[in-house]
Amino acid sequence: MTWWSLVLILVWVGTFVAGQLFFKRAMESSGVAGFQNRQTISLLSAGILLMTISFFLNLGLLQRFDLSYLYPFQGLSVIIITLMAAVILKEKLTLRLAIGTLLITAGVVLVSMS
Amino acid sequence: MTNNRPSGFANPWFQLGLNIICVVLYELLLKAGAKATADPSKSWSWIGIIGLASPLIWLAIVVMLLDLVIWLYVLKYIPLSIAFPLSRLVDVLVPISCWLILKEGISSLRWCGIALVIIGLAIVAKPAARLEERL
Repeated sequence: MTWWSLVLILVWVGTFVAGQLFFKRAMESSGVAGFQNRQTISLLSAGILLMTISFFLNLGLLQRFDLSYLYPFQGLSVIIITLMAAVILKEKLTLRLAIGTLLITAGVVLVSMS
Repeated sequence: MTNNRPSGFANPWFQLGLNIICVVLYELLLKAGAKATADPSKSWSWIGIIGLASPLIWLAIVVMLLDLVIWLYVLKYIPLSIAFPLSRLVDVLVPISCWLILKEGISSLRWCGIALVIIGLAIVAKPAARLEERL
């Protein structure tokens, strides 16, 4: 793996995580007004743009690497998203949730190593 | 969140299940389509755009768009820190469906990984069940 592919993998995971956060924010702001809300539309558009970048990077990476090689990086997104949801979206992060998330990630890494 | 939880088909937990099925489906379609169109000799192939030549990729995109609508609906009702870890049930379902349908072998190490994911999911699902009581 070259440094270039590592950069691409990081951008792929980063845009994916950021996209999820934008989606959650968009749906929080939608409330009763639904999709007529300006803020909802702009947050949603930002999320979709990030997800589109992530999608094409994923496709390019899949053409180079085995799915099993790329999977642990996707597994990492579970930890990053749970952390970011707690820090940025102020969702409650319990010890229980943290342990569960760590186990899921460890399991994903094991699956892809074997 | 003070939203009344819709029941039946509109139940967000049921929709989370639908979301998981969609993800498994499009992951398999993407891999098949990417493999069919791979051409690593071109330097710009990193962005994956040549994958669009495969009808499988287009089918995957349709499933992804459907999944996006379902996922946004789920996020309206369930916190991201609970919905996202639970959606990783796909990490168990993909290898198991490969084992059942494609008759691929699963090593003991891989079974251990699958077991870890299931334990983790069970642990995350507990606060989710509590959240459900509050709704």
